[in-house]
Amino acid sequence: MLSELVQDNLVTMEAQHALSFQRSGARQFSNHGAASAQLAPLEDKYPKFTNPQPNFTSGTVGHIFSSSSGMSSDFHFSSVTSHTSLSEKAPFISQSSEILQSTASSQYMKETNNSSWCTDSLPDFLDYPQNTPIQSSNLEHGRMPSEDLLDYPQNTRIQSSNLEHGLMPSEDLLDYPQNTPIQSSNLEQSITPLEDFGKQNDWQDWTDQLINEDDAMTPDWNDILIDTNIADPEPKMAYHVGGSSTNSMQAQPLIPQSSGEICVPLNSTPCGSASQSKPRMRWTPELHEAFVEAVNKLGGSEKATPKGVLKQMKVEGLTIYHVKSHLQKYRTARYRPEPSSEGPLEKNSTSVEDFSSLELKTGLEITEALRLQMEVQKRLHEQLEIQRNLQLRIEEQGRYLQMMFEKQCKSGMDKFTAPSSSELPSLQANPNEPGPDPMVGPSEEGPSKSEPGVSQPAKRAKVNA
Amino acid sequence: MKFGKRLKQHVEETLPGWRDMYLNYKDLKKIVRLISSSLEYGKSEAEFVYLLNNEIEKFNVFFMEQEENFIIRHKELQQRIKRVNESEPSSQGEYEEEIARIRKDIVDFHGEMVLLVNYSNINYTGMAKILKKYDKRTGGLLRLPFIQKVLEQPFFTTELVSKLVKECETTIDELFPTVVVAAPEMKEAAIIMAGEGIFRNTVAALMTMKEIRKGSSTQSHFSLPVLNLPDTELIRSFQFNSPIPII
Repeated sequence: MLSELVQDNLVTMEAQHALSFQRSGARQFSNHGAASAQLAPLEDKYPKFTNPQPNFTSGTVGHIFSSSSGMSSDFHFSSVTSHTSLSEKAPFISQSSEILQSTASSQYMKETNNSSWCTDSLPDFLDYPQNTPIQSSNLEHGRMPSEDLLDYPQNTRIQSSNLEHGLMPSEDLLDYPQNTPIQSSNLEQSITPLEDFGKQNDWQDWTDQLINEDDAMTPDWNDILIDTNIADPEPKMAYHVGGSSTNSMQAQPLIPQSSGEICVPLNSTPCGSASQSKPRMRWTPELHEAFVEAVNKLGGSEKATPKGVLKQMKVEGLTIYHVKSHLQKYRTARYRPEPSSEGPLEKNSTSVEDFSSLELKTGLEITEALRLQMEVQKRLHEQLEIQRNLQLRIEEQGRYLQMMFEKQCKSGMDKFTAPSSSELPSLQANPNEPGPDPMVGPSEEGPSKSEPGVSQPAKRAKVNA
Repeated sequence: MKFGKRLKQHVEETLPGWRDMYLNYKDLKKIVRLISSSLEYGKSEAEFVYLLNNEIEKFNVFFMEQEENFIIRHKELQQRIKRVNESEPSSQGEYEEEIARIRKDIVDFHGEMVLLVNYSNINYTGMAKILKKYDKRTGGLLRLPFIQKVLEQPFFTTELVSKLVKECETTIDELFPTVVVAAPEMKEAAIIMAGEGIFRNTVAALMTMKEIRKGSSTQSHFSLPVLNLPDTELIRSFQFNSPIPII
């Protein structure tokens, strides 16, 4: 399993320089494939491990994996084509796609060997350190994009840190409470220093992903852990902090020493010159203003150079790549303003000629058409905003119901253990105990089904709140 | 399959450069079906989440790129307007021409931004639906926490684009002459002219939205209410020459 990570990292490190953020999707699949192909060496390392679950059918595993990998190859190719159109560095994509193609068939074979691979957790972990150095440099391999995507509110991303292997869902959902979504117009706030985030998130993430990735990928693990997986995925996801940190205690001491060396280059170089990272910047109008000012000071969009503009702007966390791509876009916008002004205008003239009436060419008619267009567009936007607010509220409601439901469950459980307690579940009387609450009910319909029961205590809670 | 069909139609109708950027709803549905029959719960879920995250990444990248372009173009349009108003009016005709061009450009620009917000919303809706299907099929509890994460993603935090849209509307109000009651023939001609370009896309998007939100069999308190547009008739009257019916 870790060998996958190793290989992923090796491939990614090579590709890091060239590939931009948007190709990480394609890369994921290629790494996935490449990684599986490398499973063999690790298997040789642990021949002594036997399969403790004789009834476990590796055939099934292989089948599932290959079928889903079949799907993923579809994804991969489609994402490759779309990303290639956006990318400037296509050769790297084709390189990685080749890897996928060559290993797609071997995936099945490798995967079936998985069951005999690792059974014991601890020895595996002990062996991880030699693999982690490379892994760590990528920050998340196994990290949910959410973790990095939670960085977005500060509007920066480190590319290297965003190579997700996306395993356990919101595993770090609550890890970064400090990442409150801020889309502020404040210039300073629009960019955050990247390294700090990288550092403090590293340890926890690596350990989390080591544990969780193993859980997810290794068949035997699933048999062992399947109860915990199904029984409390909710607490695992929502309140995972407690759970995963205890797990991480094991592996944590092993990580720091080995990853230290790799960490250094990443952290020592300032964000701007870190050649590996090509963070995706989220621009704001204020930042753009500063950009335009800088460009004008340097003599205009043609004369200004990315380096000069970067220096002039003096914005922390801004890299030359950001400025370069932005400058390119800016130049295009200036010297080929609004593509619509060329195209449809011609189209309009030809369609207009279809009509005998000359009046169609009058400014008044055009203005009227535009007015109508605005009406529709305004309407659409209005509806979209309403819809979005509704969606936000629905999810908020869902969260609230979930919480209520869990509280009720809790009080229900207490009722079991303390028969002397009152008949009615009382919400306010039960403080939440630390640790995950057992989840009863298979789906989100749970909260809705229990609504009649919840509503009463909920009302009480509301009254008391 | 209702949403899937709507999505497919929308993608076909949408701006060419955007077609690959939408959610792979159909494929994800297939995978959910596959997973529900698999024994490998934990692993399948991990892989499913992996795919979803890739989709999210795709959205984010595209969205932020478009957003960046919009910021630039917004400023440029403002500059153009400033320039044309400040410059010595060489001739009334030329001024009018430039203003007319700016008007067209800014309205289309407005439309494109709204379409991006629409893009964001459709993908979010698709995500919510596929997660719901997943939970239903596998008995998992993926939806609630995962959707919380999605809510915070750049592609769904469309506040900035909405702000630009509103600023655009203000500018447009200033740019257009005071309202003149349009004769019905003019309106008709305008409707015909409107059958192309961005306008066509926005109308299509509006109708798609309405259709998606039509009451379904699985309506719950988690569902969006049915969309009732007062001037549906007006919008329906847009007869496009496209072979693909909007509804």
